[in-house]
Amino acid sequence: MEQGKKETSLTEIKIIDGGPLEIKGKFSFRDLKRDIEDTPDEVSICRCGKSSDKPFCDGSHEK
Amino acid sequence: MEKGNNYFSGGRKYTNGEITVYWKPTACVHASFCYRELIEVFDPGRRPWVDMKGASTEEIIRVVNMCPTEALTWKWNDEEKNVNISPDQTNHINFRRPELIEKANTEDEKISVSVKIMPDGPVVINGNFVLEYSGNRKEFKEGYISLCRCGASHQMPFCDGRHRKIGYEDK
Repeated sequence: MEQGKKETSLTEIKIIDGGPLEIKGKFSFRDLKRDIEDTPDEVSICRCGKSSDKPFCDGSHEK
Repeated sequence: MEKGNNYFSGGRKYTNGEITVYWKPTACVHASFCYRELIEVFDPGRRPWVDMKGASTEEIIRVVNMCPTEALTWKWNDEEKNVNISPDQTNHINFRRPELIEKANTEDEKISVSVKIMPDGPVVINGNFVLEYSGNRKEFKEGYISLCRCGASHQMPFCDGRHRKIGYEDK
């Protein structure tokens, strides 16, 4: 995620149809259930409720 | 963009996603070019008095440039486009309110997006970000959104509280 300083890159939130939620850019991430606090460059979050790696997507929506 | 106005150093700012118009009321001399030219956008009798959805970006820029003072100024939201602005764009902030340029940048620095996974509930995102639905529909968002994680919402992709009805649990 190396980008020129001049570019004011907004965090991008992309909702994939029939798939996960993808977040890229600068953001803080907290999982209040698992007490995780992090600043990842990107995450892919489960939207179907079936993942066994919650809150992250593990591809279960395709099954 | 739903929310178009914010307090900003000595006034307010309004955006349509493409440009931001700054309003500094103390600089207004009531020359009245703005509302005589473009009442759809600049209507002193309405609150908020600036409606960025009332006209095209080109029209808004044209009329903001008519303001004889620094009461109304503008800039592109895409910072790269604010370089080498032609001098006939009289009310671009580069010419009228250079003090805003730095402010805008430091403000951008501070922009932080927070993503929170609510226990057995939605993912709540707060801040200033670009939201893209599948395909290529992109929109600028400011504030909170709450997105479904359980798969049961009837208002996808947003949470409608149904996770509680279905007894959704994060496991």
